[in-house]
Amino acid sequence: MVVTIIYLAIIVFLLFFIIWNMFTEKDIMLQIDAALVIIPLVLRLLLIK
Amino acid sequence: MTLSIKTKHNVLSALILLALAAGAIVYLSLQFTRMWTPDPVYEGKNPSVKEVRRLSDYNENLKGSKGDTNIYVIEGDEPGDSMLILGGVHANEPAGMLAAVYLVENLHPKAGTVYVIPYTNEAGFTCNDPLEASPMFFSIDTPTGPRQFRFGARVTNPVCQWPDPDIYVHASSGQRLAGSETRNLNRTYPGRTNGTFTEQISYGLVQLIKAEDIAVTIDLHEASPEYQTINTTVAESRAMKVATTGRFNMDWDGITMSVEQSPTTFHGLSHIELGTWTDTLALLMETSNPSQGREHGLTGSDLVIYGKDKFYARVKAAVGLKDSDYSEEYGRPIQQRVARHITAINAYAAAYTEEFANAAAAEDKLTAFTSMGLGASSYPDSDGHIIYEGRRGVIDLGELPSYDTLCTDLFDYLAIPEGQN
Ligand SMILES: [Zn+2]
Repeated sequence: MVVTIIYLAIIVFLLFFIIWNMFTEKDIMLQIDAALVIIPLVLRLLLIK
Repeated sequence: MTLSIKTKHNVLSALILLALAAGAIVYLSLQFTRMWTPDPVYEGKNPSVKEVRRLSDYNENLKGSKGDTNIYVIEGDEPGDSMLILGGVHANEPAGMLAAVYLVENLHPKAGTVYVIPYTNEAGFTCNDPLEASPMFFSIDTPTGPRQFRFGARVTNPVCQWPDPDIYVHASSGQRLAGSETRNLNRTYPGRTNGTFTEQISYGLVQLIKAEDIAVTIDLHEASPEYQTINTTVAESRAMKVATTGRFNMDWDGITMSVEQSPTTFHGLSHIELGTWTDTLALLMETSNPSQGREHGLTGSDLVIYGKDKFYARVKAAVGLKDSDYSEEYGRPIQQRVARHITAINAYAAAYTEEFANAAAAEDKLTAFTSMGLGASSYPDSDGHIIYEGRRGVIDLGELPSYDTLCTDLFDYLAIPEGQN
């Protein structure tokens, strides 16, 4: 379905910037925040949860 | 104030955190996808199971999807009419599923054919409801070892049907419900061939009922102890006589069952829509299950199996409870909930035979009707029952254990065959 493809594209878009942000961020606490956000987004991207 | 720990080695820490996140993703994926594997059902234990079909045999759109599910065909020794048992329409109501599994592995009908679907909404068994902290599995102790079953969600997995609309409009009536009800299999009957994933499942069931001329359909559910239709059978108007006769017979055995007629203004439910759109007599039953309500404590597998909950006992003491003999000591064990379903199924099969057996003798009347030029495939008998051409008016489920035996020994009947445990 088209709406699912758009939805997955938005997740990829967000994941790219979250991971980018994780590598450029100097604050470990914010890096941990980013790592936590990645988990549900990847599970959703793989259509597991 | 926010906690902040600055580092000069941010790329290294990012790599470590990425590896940890990847580890968590792999672990969680393996956990969640465990629910994608159907529970084993050992139909080989039962020589009366003559065939295992798939719901996609009746709606090919379901082929290869998480909505496809097994249909077990249990044949009696003598010819008779057909009955359909639906377990697991709501995958978080395990007594219906377990009663259906019991029938597949143990039922030897004397007359008629029983179609049993233990996991009617298979796609509901592949996930949990969010925010309920439900167990993913529960395990019962059988004589040949522990046997695990999935504990699923009330509605279809959103991975299969997404996104939910703000308002779910029921296709054939225009009735408006909350958006998430679009994935509730007991709100999507009679379904549509080109409809949503959940409507496709409903549609497959309707096609099954039509193709096999199912005379009686029983949909097995559970509800919370405060819900008004627990220990109740809801029957579509044509099924009311069977429901009331069966209920009186259960009274003799000391089992209390209320009977309600289907509402005519609430659409999408199995009993009302199957009764309306097909020639089946449609019934739905609910047992009392404390793991479903809003008042219970920890939602673990113990609550699902034993139904012992101190908070429900407190609610009963404070303001009373629809489940009026609930106690924390006895709880609502799954054996008792399944025993109720099985005893009632047997009572309704007997009631059907009691009500319609005379119809077989009414073959003459049919001839009279058709010779009058009415050409009817159904016609009323002298008691006002609708008789369908080709039906014999007999469903005999044969010998079944008593309600009390099932309450204590149910798990013995669900033993895993040697070599498969
Ligand atoms: Zn239900």
